[in-house]
Amino acid sequence: MSNQAAISLRKDWDGGTSPFGVSYGKLFMWFFLVSDALTFSSLLCAYGFMRHKFAGDWAHPNDVFTHFPFMEGKNLPLAYVGFMTFDLIMSSVTMVLAVEAGHRLKKKAVAIWLFLTIIGGFIFVGSQCWEWYHFITGEESHQVFRDYWMNGKHIIDPHFQGANLVVNAYTQLPTFGDFFFCITGFHGFHVFSGVIINIVMLIMVLNGVMAKRGHYEMIEKAGLYWHFVDLVWVFVFTFFYLL
Amino acid sequence: MDFFEEYKGYPNYEKAAIHDEAHGKVVRKKLWMVFWIMLSITIVELIIGAKVTMGEINKEYVFIFLTVVKAFFIVWIFMHLGDEKRAMKYALIAPYALFIFYLAFMCITEGAYSLVVRDALIPMVLH
Repeated sequence: MSNQAAISLRKDWDGGTSPFGVSYGKLFMWFFLVSDALTFSSLLCAYGFMRHKFAGDWAHPNDVFTHFPFMEGKNLPLAYVGFMTFDLIMSSVTMVLAVEAGHRLKKKAVAIWLFLTIIGGFIFVGSQCWEWYHFITGEESHQVFRDYWMNGKHIIDPHFQGANLVVNAYTQLPTFGDFFFCITGFHGFHVFSGVIINIVMLIMVLNGVMAKRGHYEMIEKAGLYWHFVDLVWVFVFTFFYLL
Repeated sequence: MDFFEEYKGYPNYEKAAIHDEAHGKVVRKKLWMVFWIMLSITIVELIIGAKVTMGEINKEYVFIFLTVVKAFFIVWIFMHLGDEKRAMKYALIAPYALFIFYLAFMCITEGAYSLVVRDALIPMVLH
């Protein structure tokens, strides 16, 4: 190691400075996100385990998620999930533009972009409610079983459709419904709390709290959380809906 | 008060990212380009998922590759991890990657193995 590197190393780690060159708030937001990412990864890995264990019997998402609002009865596989993904990416862009406006200390631009982000978040949460409703009632899905196993008994019911935590009409495996509710529900809860955080940020910006501080780093931290939610959705979208 | 006196010269990291209008224009251009790239990747994924039929294995690898590309753009550009110090990049990415690659490998392998066990052993136990 050259002397120069040794000096710069001592400077970084000797105290009185941040070795990572970031404020502690941002650093711990990152640590929180890594731990949250581990939680989501564990859920998806458990999903992968079950998916491989019941490889032949698993439901085809192409046949389950075929509906689109105001176009009932048409077979549009994954179109609405694609729209939801687009919406979340779009709100991610508006969030990063809010962060960028914060770096230029433009209060009005930050407020506008944050507001658009909140709208995008509400659209996503609403879409997920709609998706859950159709998954639970089972209207208009193309893959329907009329029989299920419960307590070791084979039950045939011509009116059986939809899904709950115990049985579902998309496959003979209750795990399919369980993982759908668990993973998308956990993610939807994150989106909802992200929207709440963004609303708090918007109120703080409009009240001039950030302008008084002289920097908009809180927007950056909220933005980290929001992008993380988008990141998780990218993986859920691939592993749950596409594969 | 001595404790705070010691940290008087502490750098103001909160204000480190503040930039002027000209640099903001450059940053915004990059962000919008990343948006268009991610949007086209998503559209390609949907088209492959809904219409194109190729070998199942190939399709899976294509999806996972495109997902990792998208994840890279989100983390590196949108979350600004690419602009952080090298020490921070490693401190965040390395422990996570180490653990999750291992976990994913174990889950997939064990899941595939228990499919074999389920089909082969359960009839033997029952009869």
